[in-house]
Amino acid sequence: MRRLLRALIYALTTAIGLLAFLYPVIMSGQTANTPLLLAFVVGLSFVALLLEVQGDAVNAKFIALLGILTAMNAALRFAEVAIPGPGGFSPIFFLIIVTGYVYGGRFGFLLGALTLLVSALITGGVGPWLPYQILTAGWVGLSSPLLRPLVRWLGVEEGWLEVVLLALFGLGWGLLYGALLNLSSWAFIVGPGARMPVTLRETIRLYSAFYVTTSLVWDLVRGLGTVALTLAFGAPTLRVLRRFQKRFTFTYQPQGA
Amino acid sequence: MLHAAAWFAWLIAALIAVSTTRNPLYLTLATAVFMATAHAIRRPGETYAAPLAPGRFALYVIPLAAIINALLSRVGDTVVLAIPSTWPLIGGPITAEALVYGALNGLLLTALFTAFTVLNLAVPVRDLIRFIPRAFYPVAVVASIAVTFAPVTLRQMQQIREAQAIRGHRMRRLRDWLPLFMPLLTGGLERALQLAEAMASRGFASESRTARSTRAQAVSVLGLLGILGGGLLIAWQQVFWGALLIVTGSAAIVGMLWLTGRSIPHTTYRRASWGFREWLVTGGALFAIAGFLFWGSTTRAYNPYPAITWPAFGTLAGTALLGFSLPALVVRGDDDSL
Repeated sequence: MRRLLRALIYALTTAIGLLAFLYPVIMSGQTANTPLLLAFVVGLSFVALLLEVQGDAVNAKFIALLGILTAMNAALRFAEVAIPGPGGFSPIFFLIIVTGYVYGGRFGFLLGALTLLVSALITGGVGPWLPYQILTAGWVGLSSPLLRPLVRWLGVEEGWLEVVLLALFGLGWGLLYGALLNLSSWAFIVGPGARMPVTLRETIRLYSAFYVTTSLVWDLVRGLGTVALTLAFGAPTLRVLRRFQKRFTFTYQPQGA
Repeated sequence: MLHAAAWFAWLIAALIAVSTTRNPLYLTLATAVFMATAHAIRRPGETYAAPLAPGRFALYVIPLAAIINALLSRVGDTVVLAIPSTWPLIGGPITAEALVYGALNGLLLTALFTAFTVLNLAVPVRDLIRFIPRAFYPVAVVASIAVTFAPVTLRQMQQIREAQAIRGHRMRRLRDWLPLFMPLLTGGLERALQLAEAMASRGFASESRTARSTRAQAVSVLGLLGILGGGLLIAWQQVFWGALLIVTGSAAIVGMLWLTGRSIPHTTYRRASWGFREWLVTGGALFAIAGFLFWGSTTRAYNPYPAITWPAFGTLAGTALLGFSLPALVVRGDDDSL
């Protein structure tokens, strides 16, 4: 029962998120009127997902590990804001993907979402775009254990191909993250009352034109940056995370409690 | 410091006021008021903490929004530039009206951005974390750990870099960062273990206090179903029933959060006080939003299509917007007693 409800929560929040992201495309031919309401709905479905996922943050070890890794990742993002790299390069996705892959999707979700939240708090980047960023970065971490069956099926655990697969996964999410966030910012930029193109096909055509001209380069840089980081640091990072996994997951049963 | 709730009331009122209008005169006035407030509450010598100052944000987003809208929307009487329609994707007329409308969208975004800048300057990170709902107790603990340890991590990074530089390590290629990254990661994980032991020894509960009841899960599912169904209904033009479903679903989730939060005990050590200045800021924001909605009901809307006209300006509505500047009068960044 619980597992069914949990699966339902995952599916519904993903559907609502996608609907909110695709809203400007679906509503073609009508007036888009509600960017703030959309941000609210996205925030709310994130809240429901978070409440479900945080049930796993049960012990001090989990919470401390998550807190420290979030601090590390947020510090990396701080370095990114302070020293603007080329294009949309961001070092945070590497750790989110690798950690989600090793420690599980819920850990990855919390790490992704909290990295964006905490770094926004530290650097003063709180704004209406924050719910979208948080939800998308959470998805990145939540989805990365999906690679595990593939890796097991290929029989390449702890081999170089595993790192390559993680790198390709990072490339895909680098592009997808940009495309999704573009969709959300489109709702803001086009804004209330704009005259949207009339047919769905036309909207998709126009959107792809904008995507190619405005954001593809940035997203490619982001994706390729994650690829480079994963190829360079992936294998040793996986080793360290697995070594610590054993130290973090023991449980202690007090006598007579 | 002003009570954080007063700032949130101010922010929500400002966001609503700004998003109800598209009149460039009001938008510019509101942005100016927010900027003046941000300037007044800023501590001397403190620069904007945000990645971008509002001015730079405006320089970037207004032209971008204008161009995007001009390419998207091909209506309007004044054709500025006729791109041959045989060109793929961007062919067709570019009208001045569409450019103006896009620029207005950019102006609106700038106003929203500036309002958030004020909040970021005004409310310390600790107070923001305090606003994480009680139901998210574990998440709030994680967030405060992360906020505490982020500067430590930056310092650690600096130390490792210096140590490696002393040993003659040079950064040329990406792989040369490995001797910097791995000690950082290992050190961080070791510190996490120590922190976990310290927390456990100080009695941090090893079991979750947020009892994950099946009922809460079921309410979540129902609420999400309501939101999703409502969104689909709105997409199919059933706006009333769709909105009703969304509101019901949202209320179910918020209520569930409140109920879950109530079962988590918590202690407040330093209660933030709510005094005259808080009343003044909240009252000013309420007056501004009410006055702006009431007196500006005819002049708020502005539409450059089909031909550009000079926007109307209501003096009373414009004066009401000045209510958002009250924090500047009662909060001073250079006064430590506040």
